[in-house]
Formats: sequence, C-alpha cells, structure tokens
Amino acid sequence: MGVTPIIAADAVTKRFGTNQVLTRVSLPVSEREVVCVVGPSGSGKTTLLRCIAMLERPSEGQILMQGQVIAAAEGSAAITRAAHAVRPQIGMVFQHFNLWPHMTVLGNLIEAPVRVKGMSRSAAVDIAHALLEKVGLTDKRDAYPARLSGGQQQRVAIARALAMSPKVMLFDEATSALDPELRREVLVVMRQLADEGMTMIIVTHEMGFARHVSSRVVFMDHGETVEESAPAEFFGSPKTERARQFLKQFED
Amino acid sequence: MLQYQFRWDTIGSNLDFLLSGLNMTLFISAVTLVLAMLGGLVIAVLDMSRFRVLRLIGISVGEIIRNTPILVQLLWVYYVLPIVFNIGIDAVTALIIGLAVYQSAFISEVYRSGIQAVPVGHREAAQVLGLTTLQTFRRIVFPQAIRMTLPPLAANFVQLIKYSSLGSVISVTEITRRGMELSASVFRPLEIFTFIAVVYFFICWPLAMGIRMWERRLANR
Ligand SMILES: Nc1ncnc2c1ncn2[C@@H]1O[C@H](COP(=O)(O)OP(=O)(O)OP(=O)(O)O)[C@@H](O)[C@H]1O
Ligand SMILES: [Mg+2]
Repeated sequence: MGVTPIIAADAVTKRFGTNQVLTRVSLPVSEREVVCVVGPSGSGKTTLLRCIAMLERPSEGQILMQGQVIAAAEGSAAITRAAHAVRPQIGMVFQHFNLWPHMTVLGNLIEAPVRVKGMSRSAAVDIAHALLEKVGLTDKRDAYPARLSGGQQQRVAIARALAMSPKVMLFDEATSALDPELRREVLVVMRQLADEGMTMIIVTHEMGFARHVSSRVVFMDHGETVEESAPAEFFGSPKTERARQFLKQFED
Repeated sequence: MLQYQFRWDTIGSNLDFLLSGLNMTLFISAVTLVLAMLGGLVIAVLDMSRFRVLRLIGISVGEIIRNTPILVQLLWVYYVLPIVFNIGIDAVTALIIGLAVYQSAFISEVYRSGIQAVPVGHREAAQVLGLTTLQTFRRIVFPQAIRMTLPPLAANFVQLIKYSSLGSVISVTEITRRGMELSASVFRPLEIFTFIAVVYFFICWPLAMGIRMWERRLANR
C-alpha cells in the first residue's frame, strides 16, 4: 500500500497474565475501506478491536492513526497526547449497545459533543437531529433507552458514535445481541455508512453482510490473522483448511 | 400480672419530658447520618484507591469497625478517647462520633456496590467517546449509582434511630434514657417502655415500608 493507512494495528501482541490472546496481529486499514473480521469464538476479535479503540493496551506492538502512534506497550507523554487528540476520531459500537440509561436518546447523543468537543448545546442538538433522521428514529428523541427495542437502541448507539464525526468506526458484533428480525434494521444503517465511504472495522458473524458489504475479510483464529482476502475470494475459495472448517458452520 | 393496674396517665403527664428525648433521638440520628455519609465516602474512596497502602487502610478500618460491637465502640469513644487525646468529650458528641464511625463502615459498602452495579460497558462507551475519568464518573457513573444508593441510605437512617438508643448507656438524654429516668422516679417501667417501643415502631416501620416500596419501584424501572 502506497498511502499511509488511516488506522493500523502493527504487530500487536496482547497477553492477559500468561494467556496470550493476540500474536503479532497487523491490520492496516485504508480510508473508505470496510474490513470484516471473522473467526471462531475466543479467537481474539474483540480484543483486537479493543486495542484499536484504546480500551486495552497492547503488550507488544502499537496502534497507529495516520502514521502516528496512539497506543504502544510502553507509554510516553507524546503517545498520551496523540491518543487524547485522536480519541474522538475513533467511534465504537458495542455488542450490548451500552447506552446510558439515565439519559434520553437526545441526552446520549449530545453528551460527548458538548462535554468533549465543547460544542454548544444547540449545535449538538442539530447534529443529533440529523443523525436520528439518518437512523430513522426522530420520534424517539425524548425516549429513555429502556423504552426502545434492541434494534432501536443499537441504532441510537451508532448515532451516538457518529455524533463525534469519527474518521473510523469499529463494530463489535453489533447485531449479535439482537433477535434475528431486528438485525436487518441495524445492518441497513451499517451498510448505508459503508456506502457513504466511512472507514469501518466490523467484527461480525453475519457472513452475508461480510460477503456483500466488505472490501476485505480478515479471518482470525487463536489470536492470529490466518487469512486475509477479498470477500469473493474468501467465501468462494478459502486458502486455508481452518477457514474452510470455520465457513462450514454457516452453510445451510 | 393479673392484678396489675395500668396507669397510662403516667405517660400523659410526662409526655413533654419523654418527647424531648425523642427530639434528641431524631437530632442525633440525622446529624449522624450526614457524618456517616461523608465518612462512608472517605472509606469507599480508600477501598477503591489505586494505591495499595490506601486500600489496605480503608479495608482494615472497615473490617475492624464491622467486626466489633457497636456498644463497645461507643464505650471506647466515651471513656478511652478522652484519655488517649487528653480531651473532654461530652456524651452527645461521643455518641455521634461513635455511631457515625460505625455506620460509615456500612455506608461505604453501600456506595461501593452502587458504583460497581453500573456496568463497565457504560464507562467504556464514555471513554471511547473521549470523556475524561472525572466526567465519566460525574455524568455516567454517579447519577446511576445514586439511585441504587438512596434506598439503602434511608435504611441506614432507620438503623441509626434504633442504635441511638444505646446513648442511654452513656447518659445521653435521648428518648430511651428519658424513659429510664422517668421509670426510676415513678416506678412504671411497663407503661413507659411499652410506650417508647411503640414510638420507635411507628417511626421506623413507615420509613422501612416506604423504603421497600421505593426499592420495588426502582427495580421495576
Ligand atoms: N479482560 C480479559 N482478561 C482475561 N482474559 C481475557 C480478557 N478479555 C478476553 N480474554 C480472553 O481472550 C481470549 C479472546 O477473547 P475475545 O473476546 O477477544 O475473543 P472473540 O474472538 O471476540 O470471541 P467471541 O466471538 O466469543 O466474541 C478469550 O480466551 C478470552 O477469555
Ligand atoms: Mg467478541
């Protein structure tokens, strides 16, 4: 790749105590790319995403944003400063939504723009309205999260992340906690984002989505990236036996 | 017992005397609750501190207080503290200090479980969005924790009302002490202590019921 990746994991190893969960994982992602990360349970997908989101610190290796180190095993003042500066540019959507239950939908959306970016309340509200329209939830603006369905909550969570105008969006099994009939509405929003050119790293078990929306599929197993290819190639003729085994369980 | 002549008028004619004790009881309970809420905060902060030494101090203090009888602690504050620090402590102050310290150890646990009941994911969502640790605590953790903390705090108030009766041992003139004094002069313990028990009950019971309903409402949200 000639251009500097917008975000990259560079030889990231992560250990919890003696349990090595990631082994020298490198994942450079270019602007507008949609990378789907797939793999069996416990293969380290969430951990990789959490390292990129700066929720976990790598044991070895580093995370870079536009060539600048934002997380590394050894911290430094420069890294802390860089991390602080780019934090709002990395949005994350969690499996269990993690909306703040004591705030309304609108409250959830404007909290970070107002507190972190110092945006005026009215400007933040305008942005929130536009985003609620985008995810189809304008009528829920004053509702508390507990009153929403799982699919609606997740769409609010996506809007909340977008309110900070991130350059990269991370999704950790955004639809796994949802009933099958509610998944589509979330996938539709994600697909729309992809079409608009958002850079996305998506951990998912939705193989149909990975196949049709992603620009690249990364297959992880036992903390390593085993295979990396275009979706047509990965789903059509996987290179490794492990990937073939993994894909078998989605055949019906 | 069968021939016992009830003289409930003893209560009527000494009502002011007894109720002055009730005032003292409520005053001590309220002041102590406020102090214990602050003390509990200190112990909870120590307990959850990043520094091992502070954690050790917080945990030790909590364990010592929770595992010695409150009456012994009161006697200790009243009789031992003045000797150790060479100061005079009046009975009311000693009672307030003793009760507040004792209750702090329990209230710190209330705070801690309130904070720990807030899912980690809520904090992580805030962190990813760029909120600082302080903002996250103030805006995300605290407002959720406080709701879970208020009913147990109210329950602590009920407990303080009952525990304050221990002040009678160190001659604090709260309602139980007033009862003892009156009983010693008019020899009507049956009427007096029955009346006092009823007074405690009708203060504590509605409070306890209210708290139970409140908790149920919170649980159903
Ligand atoms: N905070 C932690 N402390 C200790 N071990 C952890 C921690 N987080 C994850 N692990 C371990 O790391 C391994 C990888 O976990 P991870 O959640 O990254 O897998 P995953 O690929 O996301 O799995 P799934 O598909 O089930 O979500 C697991 O064995 C898990 O037990
Ligand atoms: Mg996972």
